[in-house]
Amino acid sequence: MKALLIILLVIVILFVLLFTIYMFNLDMKFMTYVVAPILEKHYDKIDRNQYL
Amino acid sequence: MTEPMINPVNRPGDKNLGKLFNGGKVMKRREWRGFKDTMYDFFRWLKIWGILINVSMGKGFVKALFRYRWLANYLAVPHMIDKNTLGQRGETLRITRTAIDFVVKEMAQIVKDNNRADIRCGNDKKLSNRSVLCDENGMTAFMMGFPTLNSAQREVVTLFSANLINQNCATHYIDVAQQYGIPGDVCPMPETELGISIEDDFAVFGKCAVQINTTCDGSMMGNGLIAKRLEREYHIPTFQLAAPIRFKNDDVQAYAAEDIKKAIAFVEEHTGAKWDWDYYFECAKRVNITTRNRWEWLDVNSTDYPQFVGSVFCLYNDTNYMGNCGKSAVFPTIDAKIMQLVKKGLENKTMLGQQYRHRCLVWGVQSHYLFDLLYWMINCWGVVPLSDMLSMVIDREIAEVDTPENREQAYYDMAYLTENMIMRNHTHGGYEALLDEMWKYCEMLGADMIMLWEHIACKALTGMHGIFEEQARERGIHLVWVQHDLCDPRIANRQSIRDQFNLYMRTVMREEPLDPSLEVIDDNNMW
Repeated sequence: MKALLIILLVIVILFVLLFTIYMFNLDMKFMTYVVAPILEKHYDKIDRNQYL
Repeated sequence: MTEPMINPVNRPGDKNLGKLFNGGKVMKRREWRGFKDTMYDFFRWLKIWGILINVSMGKGFVKALFRYRWLANYLAVPHMIDKNTLGQRGETLRITRTAIDFVVKEMAQIVKDNNRADIRCGNDKKLSNRSVLCDENGMTAFMMGFPTLNSAQREVVTLFSANLINQNCATHYIDVAQQYGIPGDVCPMPETELGISIEDDFAVFGKCAVQINTTCDGSMMGNGLIAKRLEREYHIPTFQLAAPIRFKNDDVQAYAAEDIKKAIAFVEEHTGAKWDWDYYFECAKRVNITTRNRWEWLDVNSTDYPQFVGSVFCLYNDTNYMGNCGKSAVFPTIDAKIMQLVKKGLENKTMLGQQYRHRCLVWGVQSHYLFDLLYWMINCWGVVPLSDMLSMVIDREIAEVDTPENREQAYYDMAYLTENMIMRNHTHGGYEALLDEMWKYCEMLGADMIMLWEHIACKALTGMHGIFEEQARERGIHLVWVQHDLCDPRIANRQSIRDQFNLYMRTVMREEPLDPSLEVIDDNNMW
């Protein structure tokens, strides 16, 4: 019974957490303002073998 | 339409959708669609993240992420889906999500294979040796008889789908191409492909490549230079499949079929694979299922209660015909799910928005960075986009029974599919294909308005501007021109495109928006 309650609690906490991320668009905000700028800076530093 | 159709159902959730935009790169928050639909969308969102995480676990992903600029665009896949489901409820939301989620799944597989086979990342030689690089702007019909080969569409994931996700994804590569003297007034799509090649930012793999002259001369220009790099630097032999321009003429069909035979022979020679007629006719059956279903959806769209419309309708057709061409056994099951929802929506008389004022046919090549405009038209002005030019693609079934006569007919059928590739079947083939067929579909769908995308750099429609207007006047059809630059939002940004539509609706139609918060949206900085 206790184990079941713990599982239920974990599911509820997980649901609240994920739904908050979903509703407030936190996944896209994180990707946009944290991950993308780091990657863009990195791409600019790579030497490219450019020719026509 | 003389009288507007009012939706008798009170649509739950957010009413003023413009408040979701605040000038940032993403929406302020996600749309509240009422409890049931929000929960549905939430669980679909989880599923999308599941697909994305699966791709990131694939061989070569980390190396690819730190090597290829275009791959970072895929961080914003959920945002692309949000744009394309804005304002949707009930069956409409479910139809769109079923279709676009499957398109995402297909694209994810292509990205995964790309990373895995790429010599710089996963370096899976086995996969690379059974891969044939297929041109982005072509049907993969010539691969319908090779069950063991991978039709690798590296250009699709590098540019096409990336541009649906991030409006600015092409600009860096356009600038690279222009630094090397490519003029700025060619179509930004082949120009971007060329820029990617010049910068050496395509994944490198494959036993051979097949390039196709569709859609245009810009594409031919880019293909020559891309082939040069493929052949001289990476030793990947490249075949040029040249589909006839006046493809409606009978006297070009024997040539077109012969060219398909040569492409197949080329693939056989370089991969060692043998053409399998059983597999070809299996694929042909699935192509016909696609065609029958699409026509049934269009029949529904010609009623008072259209169900499957907009950019996702187009995108789903693109994926199903061009990339898939009957090769995926999963598509018919997705088609069946969508059909079930479409029938349910029709039965329930589900409306896509709060009001229908006009029934609109969308013509011309659509802007990738504002692909979701078609849903905006419904939400902001009550204009229903019944179908678009790129979805009016294949109008007859192909031979699907294995007989000696049909084996010969099959080459003509593959040529027919290739000639009618989505972006060319109405922009090539003379004015009958571009103009006369537009009126035919306009009548079939019962449209009272046409929205004409005018691609500035393409110029395909520009020469016939006056004829379009003259004939629209004769027929009493409202014609709205909307200029864009396909992949380059710096030439015509999102709001300047919407402004053209707003201006027509206010000055010519003398109408007020249904949702005034959407008339001007601060989304020019968005992905």
